[in-house]
Amino acid sequence: MKNPGQADSMEKLDEETFSIRDILDSQLLTSDGRRIGRVADIEAEVDKHGTFRLTSLVMGPQALAGRVNSSLATLLGFLLRDRFENQIPISEVKKFGPTLELRGKAEEYSVGQSDRWIAQHILRWIPGSGI
Amino acid sequence: MKKQWLSITLGIVTATGGFLDAGTIATAGEAGAKFGLGLIWAVIVATIAVIMLVEMVGRFSAVSKKTYAEAIRENLGFRFYLFPLISELIAESLMLAAELGGISISISLLTGIPWHTLFPFVAIGIWILAWRAPFSLIENGPALLGLATLAFIAGIIALGGVPTHLFPTLWHPDFQQGTGADYLYLVAAILGSTISPYLLHFYSSGAREESWSTSSLILNRVTAIMGMGFGSMGAIALVVLSAIVLQPLQIGSSTLGELGLVLAKPFGVIGTYLFAIALFATCLGAALEVLLAVSYNIAQGFGWEWGEDKKPAEAARFNLVITIFLLIAVVIGLIGIDPLKLALFASTVIALFLPISLAPFLILMNDKQYLGEHTNGRFTNIVMVCILIMALLVAIVSLPLEIITGGG
Repeated sequence: MKNPGQADSMEKLDEETFSIRDILDSQLLTSDGRRIGRVADIEAEVDKHGTFRLTSLVMGPQALAGRVNSSLATLLGFLLRDRFENQIPISEVKKFGPTLELRGKAEEYSVGQSDRWIAQHILRWIPGSGI
Repeated sequence: MKKQWLSITLGIVTATGGFLDAGTIATAGEAGAKFGLGLIWAVIVATIAVIMLVEMVGRFSAVSKKTYAEAIRENLGFRFYLFPLISELIAESLMLAAELGGISISISLLTGIPWHTLFPFVAIGIWILAWRAPFSLIENGPALLGLATLAFIAGIIALGGVPTHLFPTLWHPDFQQGTGADYLYLVAAILGSTISPYLLHFYSSGAREESWSTSSLILNRVTAIMGMGFGSMGAIALVVLSAIVLQPLQIGSSTLGELGLVLAKPFGVIGTYLFAIALFATCLGAALEVLLAVSYNIAQGFGWEWGEDKKPAEAARFNLVITIFLLIAVVIGLIGIDPLKLALFASTVIALFLPISLAPFLILMNDKQYLGEHTNGRFTNIVMVCILIMALLVAIVSLPLEIITGGG
């Protein structure tokens, strides 16, 4: 991708018809080749023409619980209070498909920092973790 | 191409660990001791099913370039992914505890130290292997040791072959009063211990770690038949040996250690050691496979970094799951149930859950989007559905009966 301008992918989104099913549960891959998670939910808004427009991808336990059962999602929402919920704007997606390729590196997304957080706070106490 | 054929070891270790494990040794030993050759048919049915399943999952990952767990989550959604995941977590944590117990008993047979004492050290050893060992070591190490299971066949030959009086038990097993429930329980346990869902995750992840493609399909078929055939031969030999040695002794309910008698009779002390090595190899391979398979399943389903060849820090969530799941199994194991009874129970629980864990797989195997022209044939689908329903029915009938009567 030589000119992966933000407008490009938005136009592409308008041209091609994406079903929600294509995006939900897709693998998120960062530009430094790391698998950081899967899409749990999406956020959309209605623009002035009255059409739905995808705005962001949502990750996190509450979003996942919402896929299973709405009262489970309410319970988790009460317990976790959005602490582990993450969003990535749709404009960050460089390439759509079964794997969503993101423009940034893992460190640039909060969900992409989970592996590092676990490595630095938990695994570092265990010998041989390679930190 | 040569390298591809070398990866046939993937099949053989999957067989040694996946086919022959604490579950199979427990079920085959019990089956022979209680019903002579009367349950060999169940081993054969289970073998056919597992050959078909392993061939399918290898074909799936080679053609679609996806692992089983990735495909369930992507194609069937998060909610559908949870059903097989939860059922596998329950059944496989019991099974992992039984495998750890099996390894402890094998070392106990060699050293004389009680297995309860060895158990925590075995768990630490397994954890170190899963934590740092590369995939190739996990794949090849137990496969070589697994050749010790050939001792079961040697044992039958040393005892002068199969006595003719046993042949009628093939189709007319020796039912004593009140053993009907035991018989059904063992049918379910044999099916569950052989057709294990963890095999599918381990095998499809292995196929991805070795980058299989459509050109690997013939290799895949050969591996499935040879690897599973090898495992099945070992299991049948143990049923026969147990029928020759243990049935006349009328031991009502045995332990994994007592099964060592089947090789002690033909080979004396050396036989006991051979049995210990065979038990060690199969349980070691299986413990690693179960542990990795569950962790692969979770990491792939949630889209995290995974891979045995990465440092723990590079796939932190995957390695954290390995550690937590092992701890759960250790807690179950420390309750102190005899590993043979635990393995029988875990196998029957797996049989009970088989339709839940394998239904999504059968749906995917018929999806042209993933497999193109390589989807399942109708015959394969019908055979698989019949075997899964049979496992479910037998488990539903026998599990409550066994719990009421206290098992064994």
